[in-house]
Amino acid sequence: MSKLRSVIRHEYLTIVKQPSFWIVMIAIPAIIALIGVLTILGNKGSSDRIQEISKDIKNVAIIDKSGLINTEVVKAADLTLSSPAETDALRTQVREGKKEALIIYPENLSKDRNYKLYLSSDDLTKMGAISSLSDNILKTSLFLPLGSPEVIALAQNGAAADMTFYKDGRESAGFNEYVVPGLFVVLFYIIFAFSIGYMLTSVSEEKENRSMEMVLTYVQPRTLILGKLLAVMLVTLTQVAFFGLLGTLALVIAPHIGMPVSLPFGIDITKLVFDPTSIVLGFAFLFTGFLMYAGFMTATAAIAPSTKEANSFSGVFFIGAFIPFYFIYMIATNPENPIVTFLTYFPLTSPVVSLIRNAVGNFNGAEAWLALAVMFGFMVISIWVAIRAFKLGALEFSQVLKISSLFKK
Amino acid sequence: MTEPIVSVRDFSLTIGSKNIVKKLNFDVLPGEVFAFLGANGSGKTSTIRSLLGIYQATTGTLHVNGAPLTPENAATVGYLPEERGLYTRSKVLDTMIYFGELKGMSRDDARDFSLAFLKRVELEDKAAVKIKKLSGGQQQKIQLGVAIMGDPKLLILDEPTKGLDPVNRKLLLDIVDELQQKGTAVIYITHLMEEVERLANRLLILKDGQARAYGTVGAVKKEFKSESIEDIFVQIYKEKSSEVAHEPADEPSNKEDK
Repeated sequence: MSKLRSVIRHEYLTIVKQPSFWIVMIAIPAIIALIGVLTILGNKGSSDRIQEISKDIKNVAIIDKSGLINTEVVKAADLTLSSPAETDALRTQVREGKKEALIIYPENLSKDRNYKLYLSSDDLTKMGAISSLSDNILKTSLFLPLGSPEVIALAQNGAAADMTFYKDGRESAGFNEYVVPGLFVVLFYIIFAFSIGYMLTSVSEEKENRSMEMVLTYVQPRTLILGKLLAVMLVTLTQVAFFGLLGTLALVIAPHIGMPVSLPFGIDITKLVFDPTSIVLGFAFLFTGFLMYAGFMTATAAIAPSTKEANSFSGVFFIGAFIPFYFIYMIATNPENPIVTFLTYFPLTSPVVSLIRNAVGNFNGAEAWLALAVMFGFMVISIWVAIRAFKLGALEFSQVLKISSLFKK
Repeated sequence: MTEPIVSVRDFSLTIGSKNIVKKLNFDVLPGEVFAFLGANGSGKTSTIRSLLGIYQATTGTLHVNGAPLTPENAATVGYLPEERGLYTRSKVLDTMIYFGELKGMSRDDARDFSLAFLKRVELEDKAAVKIKKLSGGQQQKIQLGVAIMGDPKLLILDEPTKGLDPVNRKLLLDIVDELQQKGTAVIYITHLMEEVERLANRLLILKDGQARAYGTVGAVKKEFKSESIEDIFVQIYKEKSSEVAHEPADEPSNKEDK
């Protein structure tokens, strides 16, 4: 037990004492926040500039063959309608740069929902401004008969739906029900992105720096592997606690500095649902999936002779974890589909698929527990393979361990 | 008669289709330096790994203090492997304490030993430095420190002086001398025959996984009618491999019998 504790402490401190560990932990949320701010500022800046340019665009010709464009709207934009007979001449002027643009609303506009724009240059900002202008003229002309500005705004922008959901005859929280079990999906990817790789590097570096032989003299391979697994779990908890703290601080501080936090998809923190069954299942899928992947990573590192080769081999596991995203709509809406069933039980995809299905609530009880049992079986196999590969491959410094040797006596 | 600390009987090792070691027998006595010699690929490292329980013997027994060695009872064994290295991203003192704990020492004892050893080998100012910042020779001293932690009764050194300058080589050999004086048995693997001449009480020369010479240094020299271990080594490796395995040339004896 004391050796296990020593291995855990050594592995944990080796990771968290690295400056790179904290640099990555701080840099990732900082970069995400920076990108968010820059995107908002950039989009606002572009939108403002397009609006400004739109106001200054006066040298634009408009031909209306559809009869849908309102002359008053065109006049309000300080523009005039031209005759369809002038089409060729106006197009030539645009080509020669004498006019900035020509907008042609064709006869069958309502049927084809397509109109033509001719521009004197390929300047993206000008293109955005003239597109915005032509779109506004069309929409305002169509909505003008509605009457009041409020009704026109309603027709143009629509209205938000205040939804009420019922489940089993009782009112439910709707999307807010998915949030808490959905956090396990997010957590899995955080673990996957940050921690699973530690198992790979921990074993392959130990092998590469030749410290393995001295270690194995004093520690059983299973104690070493278990110690590494538990240490990586502690590292993961450290990361989750750190990100959780950052998130909480952001939620608390942001409103006080004039940045109200608006969560996506109408998520309301006060209406979150904490369903014990889905939380227990989420935790079980996360824990089992983590150990299964960690087992595969350890085996890969033990089989490969160097960190570089181990990293190459491990690519297949990373692909496996991201495959479910290509099927996410099907997984969420069509759980009876044979592809979803296959992905639910296939070891490399089962953790993510099970977590998504648990989050959206389309796992019936028996199927969820069966998926967990199958995943648990694969987890046991992966750890057995990891320990076996470790025993055989730990001292193979120059060649890849043969897979067949894992199953020999 | 003194009980051997290491007792190897009819030990054979086959890995895949390759017979690495064939019917090997030898003993190592407390307080002696036992030179375990052979060319590259002769089976020395595989024998040591089997003795340590890392490899499983195909047949025969390898006992240390009367029982097979496992991680649970390896605390009194110090091992400096040929394929050696340390945790390059960890600090010197942290690494030494970790290995001390793996050998069953308390953290405090491991720390005290490590600091004393670092002072002895003039590396006390490197305690908080990462291993990767040390030179090759300095890393080798740390590895020796790790090997001799916990007052080992058996010390296995696989080419311990490889890559060391003369000053550090002398320092290492002095430490081996001191341990021997305290009763530690040393299995010494080397290709440097002058080290064997200087240190060893008894020796075994392995060729193709079989013992070709075994006994006290003096007895082996007498048997091969040569005053030089190096000449005997060359003579053995010039022989055809089909010749039979060797029985002890003499009863084990003290260093003075060389």
